[in-house]
Amino acid sequence: MKRKLKLGSLGYDKVAYLFILPFFLIFTYFYFIPAFQVILDSFTDYDLFTTRNYIGLENYRSLLEDDKFLQSMINTFIYTIFTLIPTLVLGLLIAALANSTLIKTKICRTLIFMPHVVSMVAVSMIWIFLYDSTNGIFNAILQLFGLPKSDFLMDPNLALPCLIIMGIWKGIGYNMVIFLSGLKSIPEHYYEAAKLDGSSAVNTFFKITLPLLSPTTSFLLITGLIGSFNVFEQVNIMTNGGPLYRTTTIVHQIYINGFSQYKLGYASAMSVVLLIIIIIITVINFKLTQEKGA
Amino acid sequence: MKSYRLHQTWSRVWMKTIFILVSVIVVFPFIIMVLTALKSNQEISQGLSAFFPETPLFSNFVTAMQKGNWGRYFINTIMITGFAVIISLVINSLAGYAFARMRFAGKTILFYCAMVGMMLPMQVIMIPVFLQIKELPLVGGNDFFGNGGIGLVNNYAGVILPLIAHPFGVFLCRQFFMGFPKELDEAAKIDGCSPLQIYLKLYIPMGIPIFATLGLLKFVDTWNQYTWPLLVFNDPEMNTVQLALNAFKGENVTEWNYLMAATIVIILPILVLFVCLQRYFVQGIATTGMKD
Repeated sequence: MKRKLKLGSLGYDKVAYLFILPFFLIFTYFYFIPAFQVILDSFTDYDLFTTRNYIGLENYRSLLEDDKFLQSMINTFIYTIFTLIPTLVLGLLIAALANSTLIKTKICRTLIFMPHVVSMVAVSMIWIFLYDSTNGIFNAILQLFGLPKSDFLMDPNLALPCLIIMGIWKGIGYNMVIFLSGLKSIPEHYYEAAKLDGSSAVNTFFKITLPLLSPTTSFLLITGLIGSFNVFEQVNIMTNGGPLYRTTTIVHQIYINGFSQYKLGYASAMSVVLLIIIIIITVINFKLTQEKGA
Repeated sequence: MKSYRLHQTWSRVWMKTIFILVSVIVVFPFIIMVLTALKSNQEISQGLSAFFPETPLFSNFVTAMQKGNWGRYFINTIMITGFAVIISLVINSLAGYAFARMRFAGKTILFYCAMVGMMLPMQVIMIPVFLQIKELPLVGGNDFFGNGGIGLVNNYAGVILPLIAHPFGVFLCRQFFMGFPKELDEAAKIDGCSPLQIYLKLYIPMGIPIFATLGLLKFVDTWNQYTWPLLVFNDPEMNTVQLALNAFKGENVTEWNYLMAATIVIILPILVLFVCLQRYFVQGIATTGMKD
């Protein structure tokens, strides 16, 4: 009896395939096949209504001459850099404050985290009102200081910064929470040792906290990079890519080309470009963390 | 010693001030939202001189909800969210259990396949996924090859299905289940339990904490969904609350009080959940380190 049991646990459980079947059916149909389909479609002129024709690299050649797409690449890069860095820095600073045992921060932490759980649609509605050219609070404040009114979201030079500020506001709380859990995992005795050695608070932060926090930082950096490169919802809701294509992003171009102009083959080529960018980010990050580990 | 104490008091005051200031700045847009929802149109146009509403107009909420078929939008959203949460918990935890406790050929490869999928953002594959929804065989007038009909377009399932296979959920369940003592399985096996019975009688009750975390995250993620419903639904009757709010903005351009009132109504369920289950929320997000 005992022997049979042991053999049973060493052998394969055929029933396991039934357990993973539902997951893998959906996964294959909605992730795996599409990941290849998007690459195949990028070499076609598919338009949803007629059959696909293979056109080689034609889509990619057109991409190079597509001013709107090139603009969307620039916008996406600008958005990513100027959203990600402030969000990380501010998130870390607030987390460091919250981690201090000197003050009680529970309610404040809840409030700072709130924007993260609220939907992008709702957040966009609030900020559209804040930025409104006639009744918005930002214009009211400008007027208070005797400054001229501004058309924030309609101004080609201000629209993208407006989206960036909202992006930072929405992201800080999440970064704070993740940094905080990273900070809490640093053993207390490192700090005690630093204190005994007479290290200043600033010195301790750069010499102990930051290096020990690097797994957390690199996690937030990579997820933040991928998230920012996929920015779409607030663009579609708040500015629709305008004015003068100054806020259009890569995913917004994919959406416009694919779902309002039905150029699915062409939009697939854009998706592949985005996919390549994301793979590059992931590989670089992987290499960097490997080097650190070695 | 005395100067040290004084120093500590001062830094405490400073830290507290900065922290409160940051939270006020972060909450400020929400305060504006609430105040605006309670104002009359005339008060809104007065700007800072009427920062607070003279008499809070709670009737704005009623008026806002009468503009559009909000009952229907809420039902749509609740159906989609409910099914997405339940089905995703079932399929991801089943797979997580198999990966944690069972032996089968190709286990490692399959697991890594799923984990690589985790890195793939949905936005990158939104076009082929939409086509998969539209060309799902034998539904929505489609033939066996997925042609001829609309598939799951304008169907709840078209939004639910792409959201439920969640590699990170599988990973998390696997990690959690691997922490259970193996002797439990052995004992149950000797008692003649099948793997399915072990899963149902042992792993589900003991896995409640991880299900709560994953369910909560999925709930928020699905409730807040904008992109998938936007792609899959083109019938206004199928609108989720998020799509409906965006449409509301288009139809009532300058009626800010109603727009803010509607915004409050659609974020209220999430905020209530958030405040009540805050610990699980933050724990879930911190331990998973993932949004969706």
